[in-house]
Amino acid sequence: MSQDLESQLRAALRPIAPSATFEKRLIACVTDDPQHSQPKANRVGGAGWRSRARWLPVAAAACVLIGVGLQNRLQVRRERENGLEARRQVVEALRVTSQKLDLAYEIVKSQSSSFTDENPGV
Amino acid sequence: MKHPRLKILLALLAPALAWAAPNPRLVLPDFPALVQKATQAVTITLDPALLSLAARFLDGNDPQDAATREIIKGLQGIYVRSYTFDRDSAYSQEDIDAVRKQLAAPGWNRLVETHSKKTHANVDIYIMLDDNKAIGLAVIASEARQFTIVNIVGAIDLEKLHKLEGQFGVPKLDLDASKAPH
Amino acid sequence: MNEAVRQFTDHELALARNGDAQALTALVLAHQRSVYSLALRMLGTRDLAEDLAQDVFMQLNRNLKSIESREHLAFWLRKVTAFRAIDQLRQRARLATHLKSDTHADHYNDADTCDPLLQRHLKLLLEELSPAARAVVLLRYQEDLDPVDIARTLEMPINTVKSHLKRSLEFMRQKTPGARSSRGEDETL
Repeated sequence: MSQDLESQLRAALRPIAPSATFEKRLIACVTDDPQHSQPKANRVGGAGWRSRARWLPVAAAACVLIGVGLQNRLQVRRERENGLEARRQVVEALRVTSQKLDLAYEIVKSQSSSFTDENPGV
Repeated sequence: MKHPRLKILLALLAPALAWAAPNPRLVLPDFPALVQKATQAVTITLDPALLSLAARFLDGNDPQDAATREIIKGLQGIYVRSYTFDRDSAYSQEDIDAVRKQLAAPGWNRLVETHSKKTHANVDIYIMLDDNKAIGLAVIASEARQFTIVNIVGAIDLEKLHKLEGQFGVPKLDLDASKAPH
Repeated sequence: MNEAVRQFTDHELALARNGDAQALTALVLAHQRSVYSLALRMLGTRDLAEDLAQDVFMQLNRNLKSIESREHLAFWLRKVTAFRAIDQLRQRARLATHLKSDTHADHYNDADTCDPLLQRHLKLLLEELSPAARAVVLLRYQEDLDPVDIARTLEMPINTVKSHLKRSLEFMRQKTPGARSSRGEDETL
């Protein structure tokens, strides 16, 4: 495939939609953020405003709980990621070491072969 | 308390004695200039905490993982700097000399010094011994388009490491055939 | 500006500044793809990308008063997302030094892609770039920003942006079979 790299990049890097679950969670957190300093807009019908205010602490608490649960889950996942990354690095490090030790052996071997070729019968 | 004065003296001298003891840990720079030029760069810094973390994620039921775990059991650190370039002589001897100077310090013994005229590859292997046991390993490999430094701190078992060769995708070398004729 | 931002109006921005829930929802829906994608391609995993995206929007929520226009909003989101992702990557590098390999290949797979193999290949190449270079490439080819806007977003000299783009493209071209440069590439840089 012979294609312009920049076109390939643009096509491959089109924005990706997050999961529907995450979208709902994000909207809930943003719209019910208890630290939002802006006053809620007044709407026609004061009762609507009051009913939203009643649910606000519940939604905020739910958001905090979800956040804490997410945080724990993320921490576990991060530790697992770090552990797997460390494992990969160990394997790679030992592979590189082994490769260079082998290189030394190969050089010694080839020098031994040259010595034998140049000095037959020794 | 027996010999309290001796104990106090030893306690006072401990830092000096620790300083005088050979240290198998090399100071490896990050070579930022080489990273910029390299087409591939491997920088690995595994201290005791990371080695311990890695060991937890090595599967004891997998033969390679089990062998790897066995090797890293007595180690305190693994440090690798490896740079690959797309042309010959992209790095200078000065880059290597800064590390080589550290290997002239007491305690380090050069185990192997190899040079290939054909491929212009040099591989030097150094080992640090304490009471006839290896407590440190250093490998410096300079090839036409690659430069690698490995420093392993701790009780490294070269035989076990050699046995792992085939499992890392590196073909096993017939050691018997490599013995020099006599 | 992309399609999603055009759908978010100035009126909605004004309402969102006043804390209107519907306007805030519209704001999230208009920008979440951009923020999430940038975070995902910078950090490499869905979990970390979701975490970062959520933090960015929460931070935006607290700073909406200072957002002057829709253009400013888009600029702010890209800047904060890029900076925080770069910080995280540098922090990650301090913990576990960067290992250039294809071991991150299984972290995320995009369902909606034109060519899954190419997507995977380019993703792996992206991960080999430094955090700053990666951010430059993403802002250029995902967000369609020109180098001047990239420089402004990342607070980077324009020549540094161009250098990152040039070297990153050269690197990717070498590693991508069949890739060739476009005629106007030098002009775009």
